Amino acid sequence: MPVTGEAIVGLLPEIIATVFLFVVLLGGVFAGERNSGLVGALATLGALATFASAAVLLAVGFEGTFFGDSYAVDNFSLFFKLIVSGTAFFTVIAATRWAGTTGDAPEYMTLILSVVVGAMLLASMRDLFGLFLALEIATIPSYAMVAFDRSRRESAEGGMKYLVTGVIASSVLLYGLVLIYGVTGSANLTQVAEAFSGELTPVGLVGIGLMLSGFAFKLSAAPFHFWTPDAYQGAPTSAAAFLSVAPKAATFAVLLRILVEGLPGATTTWASILAVIAIITMFVGNLSALRQRNVRRMLAFSSVAHSGYILVAFAAIQGGGQQTGIQAVLIYSAAYAVMNLGAFFAIDLVGEDAKSFNGLFKTQPALALCMGVFMAALVGIPPFSGFFGKAWVILAGAQSGSILVYAAVGALVINSVISLPYYFGIVRNMFLEEPVSGGVARKDDGGVRFSVYALAILTTVFILFFGLLVTLTGASGLL
Amino acid sequence: MITTITIFIPLLGAILISLLRGDERTTRYAALGIAAVPLLLATYIYFAHGGNLSGAANLSQDLTWIAPLDIGYRVGLDGLGFGMFFLTALLTLIAVVASWDIRERLSTYFALLFVAQTGMLGVFASNDLVLFYIFFELTLIPMYLLVGIWGDENRRPAAIKFFIYTFLGSTAMLAGFLALGVLGGTFSIPELQGGGGLGTTAQIAIAAPILFGLLVKVPAVPLHNWLLDVYVSSPISTNVVLSGIMPKLGTFGIISIAIPLLPAGVAPFLPWIAALGVVNIIYGAFVAFLQPDLKALIAYSSIGTLGFILVGAAATNAVGYNGAVLQQVTHGIYSAMLFVIVGIIAAKTGTRQIAELGGLAARMPWATGFLALGAMAAMGLPFLAVFASEFMSIMGGYEAFPVQGALAALGIILSAMYFLYMLARVMFGPITNPAYESITDANPVEMAAITPLAALLLILGIFPALLIGIQRPAVEAVLAAIGGG
Repeated sequence: MPVTGEAIVGLLPEIIATVFLFVVLLGGVFAGERNSGLVGALATLGALATFASAAVLLAVGFEGTFFGDSYAVDNFSLFFKLIVSGTAFFTVIAATRWAGTTGDAPEYMTLILSVVVGAMLLASMRDLFGLFLALEIATIPSYAMVAFDRSRRESAEGGMKYLVTGVIASSVLLYGLVLIYGVTGSANLTQVAEAFSGELTPVGLVGIGLMLSGFAFKLSAAPFHFWTPDAYQGAPTSAAAFLSVAPKAATFAVLLRILVEGLPGATTTWASILAVIAIITMFVGNLSALRQRNVRRMLAFSSVAHSGYILVAFAAIQGGGQQTGIQAVLIYSAAYAVMNLGAFFAIDLVGEDAKSFNGLFKTQPALALCMGVFMAALVGIPPFSGFFGKAWVILAGAQSGSILVYAAVGALVINSVISLPYYFGIVRNMFLEEPVSGGVARKDDGGVRFSVYALAILTTVFILFFGLLVTLTGASGLL
Repeated sequence: MITTITIFIPLLGAILISLLRGDERTTRYAALGIAAVPLLLATYIYFAHGGNLSGAANLSQDLTWIAPLDIGYRVGLDGLGFGMFFLTALLTLIAVVASWDIRERLSTYFALLFVAQTGMLGVFASNDLVLFYIFFELTLIPMYLLVGIWGDENRRPAAIKFFIYTFLGSTAMLAGFLALGVLGGTFSIPELQGGGGLGTTAQIAIAAPILFGLLVKVPAVPLHNWLLDVYVSSPISTNVVLSGIMPKLGTFGIISIAIPLLPAGVAPFLPWIAALGVVNIIYGAFVAFLQPDLKALIAYSSIGTLGFILVGAAATNAVGYNGAVLQQVTHGIYSAMLFVIVGIIAAKTGTRQIAELGGLAARMPWATGFLALGAMAAMGLPFLAVFASEFMSIMGGYEAFPVQGALAALGIILSAMYFLYMLARVMFGPITNPAYESITDANPVEMAAITPLAALLLILGIFPALLIGIQRPAVEAVLAAIGGG
């Protein structure tokens, strides 16, 4: 497997992120632990450079597969790399001040960039074992990120729960991958697809089932979602925000690639399984979120629900819905990235208790407006980003021609309505309630504030770039 | 282009007014100025292109947005939507004038009102299903906040109830729209007319969620639970828009989307829509009769007369359809006017309870006179605007569904009963409360909010052809497309 010049160009985003990973780590050593501003600036620059390189590759239409057909750089993977590095950009900016207070800013930034590298590798992998490695590169630093806040016991607790369930999930996933390898005799997706073109053997079926269960853990899909609220509640806010978006998007990407490129022969099987998982996930996520008083836990369950919405798009990748289904996953991931990241950062500024949002419109109107935008977007109300994600999932469902998918779309519609009270509970607190007497002590952090405003603007102007996004994802390179 | 400008000027105005830092007076004048622009443009459109709305090239726009699915930014005005388009511009201006009871955070109030206005104008001018939905939903959050922040003590549960009900309906409607666009191969409303080549079963399956969503918005009676609390709790100027325009987003959807685009799918539901209309009329009248609260009485009366729109539209014949399209406008005028007057009376007397009012005619001749005028219009008296539209709706309804049509006619008698009973108790008789001896009549600002509407009731009552003339070609086009007559 020669490393060609073309491969180096194709791997530029990963290379840049890796270089900056070491620069940040070493920069921390040389600049001294107190200089978190410099470390933050370096990490921001790294995320920006990574984003720019991926954007350039996408703009020039770079395509190719490398290392013996095991690594694909195409529109599809580049799109996800943009989401991952863009998310990292806002996270790093928002985390700089806080990371400085822990005294371990270089380590925290390095962890973020490691997740970025792993997640970007993940989006491109066409090899069953390569993708497992990439998944672990993305996951192992994220355990540390969750447990990073040593000032709070919940952080360690969340990290521990995340670690234990994560390791179990990884083993289940690996077991499934090995079984698929055993049946097909190859780890390469093209060859897997050829081997799976005929009748599905029981062992193959078990392999697919275990693999999907493993992914369900990683994507916090019900009934494998139990780690999510504790991990997100315990984690530092920037970690919860980042982990709920970036590695998740990349995991969706690689799952999509395995299913569409590796297992097209078994479409009905996996689509049916995922439709059922999606329906359960949406209901479990939303009904659990309804009961939360802690906004962070609420958003954790909301992220479970949104995994369910995206899985409906997966189930719709059949019949006439293939193209739109894949598009829906991409569009939803982008739409979700901006609105969910923003919502988490807003919590960082306001507080975890739902009551701390009371009267925010009177005390900090701009922040209240931003949070209102995120909440409306998460419900799926136009003209905000989430609406377009949901609309495309419904579109794909309508095209799929499968009764089970129609049921899943119906469940999505019902769940959007179920989700309304808890998201708008926050809006009510902000706009209709009076501020808590005596005021709430709120921290002010310019980095977080910048990220919240920028993300609110992105969530709102999403509509203007939507046509471009559809064109871009229409030629995703998959299929 | 003119249409697009008219739609988005309020949105621009919303941004401007929320950035404006001035005293109350400046804010009010700025809001008046912003609200006047769409009205002037709509008036210009009426006089310049009223004779041939759909043929006027500078009124419509068709820009590709999502090419593979044929979704576009398509706007245009036709006879079906123009009346409501104009009324939206007018009633928003009235709402700005009638906002005298809003003191706190005035600029935010106007900003939200203008965002809602862009949504409403957009709905009546949309020629694309996705665009229609986006504008439809754009009204939701502003209305929720208008009621939720500035309403009375019961506002919070009322606002969230309104939100959940209509969001449930509109999400179902969205699913129907997307299925229709995908199966029909385009999201263009004009191109989909007549069914888009879909079979009857598919049309029925798509029509059901769309009709459900639109009927919740109207609201048709079993789905009306959200309405009363919201109407009663909201501030007067929000009432103007809430009762004058918002229900028409639903009826307009039925008239210009559900029936023309899915004729075969809607057909089995038509007798039931007409029946729901009758239920609205009769239920609204009886419950209005029992209301001790003047505002609640007007609210139920408003639900009731919306029923005529459903009856006329369901008839899908020329008379009924024209009546329904016209009733949307006339209903908006009279109900907005009555809500403003009730607001004035409640503010002066400090109560809305009919039992506590009495003999106001002596102290407030103008206000009570206009109340009587609005009530007489609502009863469907000749030479007032509602007469022509109700009469046509009933005639058309009777022709298509004799039972429903006949029962709808009963509604006119019922509405006469409760309105006359209300007028008798509020206006005439001795002054029951000594405190009312000193109350004054409507002041000039209050009169300014009422008189344009009163004038329109008279003008459209005597010359209904002013509107019927421009809507008739569009109605004929729809009926030709669906094969009715």
